[in-house]
Order: sequence, then structure tokens, then C-alpha cells
Amino acid sequence: MSLHPMIAALRKHKAGVVLIALQIALTLAIVCNAIFIIYARIQNVQRPTGMEESNLFLITQQWVGAPSGDDPADLQKLDAMMREDLNVLRSMPDVVSVTPINTLPLFPSSWNGSAALKPGTDLRAGNARTTFYFGDEQLLKTLGLHLVAGRNFTAADVTHRGFRDATESSIIIVTKPLADKLFPQGDALGKAIYLNGGNTPSTIVGEVERLQVPSVASWASGFVWNSAISPVRMNINFSRYAVRTKPGRLDAVMRAVPSKLYAVDAMRVLDDDSVKSFKDIRADAYRADIGMAVLMGVICLILLAVTAAGIVGLTSFWVGQRHRQIGVRRALGARKIDILRYFQMENLMIAGGGALVGVALAVGLNRLLMSKFEMQSMPTFYVLVGLAVVVVLGQIAVFVPARRASNVPPVVATRSV
Amino acid sequence: MLKMTHLSKVYRTEVVETYALRDFNIDVKEGEFVAVTGPSGSGKTTFLTIAGLLETFTGGTYHLDNLDVSNLDDNARSKIRNEKIGFIFQAFNLIPDLNVFDNVEVPLRYRGMKALERKERIMGALDRVGLASRAKHYPAELSGGQQQRVAIARALAGSPRLLLADEPTGNLDTQMARGVMELLEEIHRDGATIVMVTHDPELAARAQRNVHIIDGQVVDLAEDPRFHSAYVAAAGQVRG
Repeated sequence: MSLHPMIAALRKHKAGVVLIALQIALTLAIVCNAIFIIYARIQNVQRPTGMEESNLFLITQQWVGAPSGDDPADLQKLDAMMREDLNVLRSMPDVVSVTPINTLPLFPSSWNGSAALKPGTDLRAGNARTTFYFGDEQLLKTLGLHLVAGRNFTAADVTHRGFRDATESSIIIVTKPLADKLFPQGDALGKAIYLNGGNTPSTIVGEVERLQVPSVASWASGFVWNSAISPVRMNINFSRYAVRTKPGRLDAVMRAVPSKLYAVDAMRVLDDDSVKSFKDIRADAYRADIGMAVLMGVICLILLAVTAAGIVGLTSFWVGQRHRQIGVRRALGARKIDILRYFQMENLMIAGGGALVGVALAVGLNRLLMSKFEMQSMPTFYVLVGLAVVVVLGQIAVFVPARRASNVPPVVATRSV
Repeated sequence: MLKMTHLSKVYRTEVVETYALRDFNIDVKEGEFVAVTGPSGSGKTTFLTIAGLLETFTGGTYHLDNLDVSNLDDNARSKIRNEKIGFIFQAFNLIPDLNVFDNVEVPLRYRGMKALERKERIMGALDRVGLASRAKHYPAELSGGQQQRVAIARALAGSPRLLLADEPTGNLDTQMARGVMELLEEIHRDGATIVMVTHDPELAARAQRNVHIIDGQVVDLAEDPRFHSAYVAAAGQVRG
């Protein structure tokens, strides 16, 4: 089928052609970028934290009338209260392990700083940004982290300190990505690093395979896997405990925990949100991402539907307008398939032209989003998929009116109206 | 060339059957120029659409160029229309979005002809109708007579075995009509078989043979007692 007469005919309908091509171009540009954003969000949502996430929950509780922990006597009292809680929780029959902890991956609370190879390094000049987790010798077991080098903490390694005490631990366990970032030669074990611009060295005694930072926001995307674990019980007037249960016993233990803790000390606040499974923490953390992905997906579908409707509408209009012309073509020897192909090819040309403009728009939009919203560069694959989608959509959309056109009988050519 | 035997065409609705053609018989020999006349609603156009395989018929047989075309499928009918039949319509039926060259090219493209041969045929046909210089013009830029000449060129370009003309001068003034008629006569002299439907007795008289259709049947006006006196009067007017 030669394109020349088709192009000549399309030239006579410039307005409709340009409008539908522009609609296709805009759809392609928006859909490509939206799919890329959706995919990036889904990848974020699906990435494992490095923990064994099942049978894990977090308790956040606050003592009523507890001291601030600013003086040594109060600190001892707070630590005693915490250890009492830990003892009770660890004595529960379905509990595997418990650790005091300041936060968990994906939990909306984090303690971020830097790790440097030299003492007194300015925070921003540190060798790596990192998130700090504080816990005791049961932290690795409770979170289900995989120790890939060195050793775990022992009970003797664990210290306790107040919230405002800036003393860093003498030993530390880091994630492998952080270790590799600080020591690219792979010899981090036994090396000293300096945390938060301090002068006290912390010796790396172990490496865990992976532990995600709490924040899922874009500002933390540069150090998602840079975590450091200090053997510290942080004493303050509230506490968090991560609890691992026996398989299948999570709900039962979560239900039993408040009464156990109230039995230790009734002067505390434990509300509905205080005992939360990690599954719920994950759902909360990514609710906005999932919502955004769904919203963008719906917008994409609506856009594609509107574009398809536009193609159907324009082609139907053209079929009606060319009804007699189609009959003449049939009378002159065109088969039904020739008429069908004519409209399919005509749409392919319009969609192809629109798609080429759309590719340029898609790349331009991606560049704009990169500059304004820290979006990643969109791989060519997405543009190609978008291009294929709009072209196939066009062919599907045009099929029904094109088939209607192919059914115009040749006898129409002889009718005067 | 064209032979219909006991052919009928019935339009059926839920409540009524209408015979457009009934026991219709015609035999057009190769090289003949036949004018088909008759009053409005007599079945002239139905005959032409069936002859041109634009429509199917209900009963009887139809042989075109010694081929029984009674039970052909749609694709086969399209192929025969494309290769054996040239159409000249009353309303010209040029495609307004295409220029003269592209209009004449339409049936040749459906034949899958090579570009060089297409070009030769198109320019040859346009030359024959005296419009070679207007190849790049669009239909709207031509007079009615010129548009009909383009339509004739389109019909001729494919070297059809049979030319079917449906009121070819119906939309033209007298002078343009005369030019188109002379062109058809010239084409006939060159050996073409032409069947022309017309209601104009003057044009019909210029054909080799007249076939009259009344109420969907071919009648001999001179012999049929229903029309004998009217025929004699009309023939006298034409001769006068």
C-alpha cells in the first residue's frame, strides 16, 4: 500500500490529524513518565529491608511521670524500668527474642548522622551518611539480620546512656553497603570510624548483609542501605521494643503484651497504635507511594481511554464523511480488507507521527522532572514501551470504525445521495 | 460479453417483496454500444449495479466475459470489477482529496500494478481524454465536463473488457454532454464494449442498440402493444 495518496488525503484534513496526533503525543509523554514513576515506586515498595519481616512487631510505650534521664540517678532508674520490661517480654512463652530499639526500617522516626574515617570531621564532610540503630545483643536475632562478617554483640558490650549523651560506642556493627562505602577494599572489619563528627573511635566488629534506613522519603534515597548498629540501650521517658515471636503466634503475643507491661508498671501509655506489626509498619510507610502509583495508573488509563475514544470518534467521523468515497473505492476494485487496511494504515501514520513527537515530549518531560523533582533518568525502554502502547492502542481503537468502513457496499457509488 | 438469463432481483422487507428485476434477459455482444433506457424506477440502475457486480441478484444466471459470476464471493467480485469493468458514474465520483493523477491511479493500485506501468497507463488515459496537462489538479479545480473526462480516464486506464456508464451526461450541460458522448463514441470505435444507462432518448439513439426496461423487464417497444403508439411517436420526434 502506497503512502503517497494517503498523505495527500490527510493533508486535506490537517486540523483533525494534528489534533489527534498531538493528543497521542501528550498521552505518550505522560504515560511513559507515569509508568516510569509507578515502576520506581513499586520497586521501592517491594525492596526487602534486610530483616525477616514476618513474626516481628514493635512496641512503643511512654512512662507517665518518669524522669527525663538527664542526671545519672534518673538514668539508672530509667534503665532499670527498661530492663524490667525486657525481662517480662522475654519471659513470654511465644516470644523468641526482644531488643530495645530506637526505631525500625520504614518506621517514621530516625536518627541520622555521618560516618567518617577521621576524627572531628564535619558532618557534611563525612565519608558517608548513615542511620543509627541502638539495641542490645538480641537486636540481630530479633530483626533477623544476616551477619556476613565479624561477630554479634555480647551482653557485656551493651551500655546504656541518656538521650542527650553524645558519647559514641566503642564498637559498632555496620551494614555491608556502608562498610564497602567506607572501605572499598573490603577490609572494614576491625577498622575504626568516627560517628557524627566525634573524636571517639568506634571499631567495626561486624557486618550485616543489609538493613534499610527508616525513611522512605527521597532525601534518604542516597543512603538507603547505610546503617550502623550501636550496642546501646537508649534511656528516655519512652521506650521501643522490637519483638520476634514464634511462627504463627504474632497476633496472640501482640494481644497479650499490653497486660503484661501494665502488670509491670501501670503508669504508662499504651494506645491502639503502640503495638504494631511490621506488616502494618510497612503498609503505613508505603501507603502514599502505593496511593500515588494507583492514582497515576488510573490517570494513565483515563488518558489512554480518552485518546482511544478520540481516535474512534475521529475515524468514525471520517468514515461517515467518506461513505460514498469508500463505496467508489469498492466499486473500483477495493476488497474489504483493502478498506480496512487503508484506515489502519492511515491511523498508523497519524499515531506514528504523534508518537515521534511524543517521544521528544516524553524525554523533555523526564528532563524537567529530573531537574525539579529529583527524578531518575528514564531508560529508553519506557519510551519504546509507551510508543508501542499508543501505536497498538491506535490500531485497536481504529479497528471498529475501519471494519464498519470495510462493510460499506460498492453499490453506494451509484446512489445519488 | 454480458449475458443475463431469467435474472431477478427482489428487495424483501418484513411485509413486502419488491421485484426490481423480473425474468430479466439481456445479451450484449463484445464491441457493442448498448443504451439502456426506461422510466424512473424501471430497474435501469439495478440492472447496471448487478451488471457491474456492485450488487448481488436473487435468481437467474449472469455470465460476464464467459464467466459465470452468479456465486462469486466478495473478493472475487472485487477482482472482476477491478480488472474487467470500468465504471462511469453520473456524479463522476472522483475522490476530492486526490488530484487527477491519483484519482485515475486508484483502480490500478488495487490491481497491484508496478509504479512505472501505472504511470504510463494513467498518462495514456489522461492524454486520450485531453487532460494530461491537468494531472496535478484537484477535482474541485475542474469543470463538470472535465471531471467526467477524468472519470472516463479512470475507467479506461485499467483496459476493462466492459464499460458501464450510468447517466454519464446527467450532470452536464448540453455542450459538455456532447463532448463526453463523442468521447464515448470514439472509445467504442476503438473496440470497447459499452453499456450506457440513460433516460435521454437523444443519447440513446446514438448507441448501436437500445434496450428498454419497464417494470424490471426488457421489452421491445416496437412489438409490445402497451407501448407501440408511444414508441412510434417518440421515434418520430427523434428523427424530426
